[in-house]
Amino acid sequence: MPLAGAVTPGAIGTAPAGAGAGIAAGGTDPAAFGNAVTQGLEKLQAMHSTTDSLAVQAVTGNLADIHDYTIAANEAAVATQLTVAVRNKAVDAFTEIMRMPM
Amino acid sequence: MAGPFGAIDTAGTGLVLHRTWLDAVADNIANVNTVRPTSGEAFRARYVVAEAANYGGTDGVRVAGAEFGDAQGRMTYQPDSPLADAQGYVRLPDIDLADQMSQLIMAQRGYQANLAVVERATAAYQQAIGLGR
Repeated sequence: MPLAGAVTPGAIGTAPAGAGAGIAAGGTDPAAFGNAVTQGLEKLQAMHSTTDSLAVQAVTGNLADIHDYTIAANEAAVATQLTVAVRNKAVDAFTEIMRMPM
Repeated sequence: MAGPFGAIDTAGTGLVLHRTWLDAVADNIANVNTVRPTSGEAFRARYVVAEAANYGGTDGVRVAGAEFGDAQGRMTYQPDSPLADAQGYVRLPDIDLADQMSQLIMAQRGYQANLAVVERATAAYQQAIGLGR
């Protein structure tokens, strides 16, 4: 794939979401956001286990490339920050709704 | 389809290549004084061949293979060497230390440049996450 394709607007956003498509389509499925979060957490879990196994390789002397570990740790950290940011936004939205006067 | 960390993964392939290059230069420098008898081949310098590649959607570079230097080496007159032939000659590798040091610098700078890409991309992604916080 040419690199130009990587900068297509929305390409990054649509890639990992999958289940999140339901939200954009109208948000009728109440579980859509929950599914998207669950999927995101599963991917995050996979990234962290990759990082963990690389860390074990590093301390046992089986790691050929040091940067394999640092890059995996880096990506896992950024993905965690993203997940936490999304979670915080969702919680903010929820509390905002709960504060709505009736 | 490049993942969300396309730039970082691409820089990772560059890191692998430059690490391999560093290994090759280290081997060449380590063997710069390796003496061989004239009946055999001299130590042959290793040169890493790079090639643009695509890893299932992620662009990058990969090691296409290694090329080897001259097997003739430099015929050097060392009559005291136990490996010397009847005329007193041995084979030293055809490696120019100055050339290897320049390659070392290029490999190191390339490695650093790829690490800088990882750093900058991480900073950019973090700023994007911080948007509207």
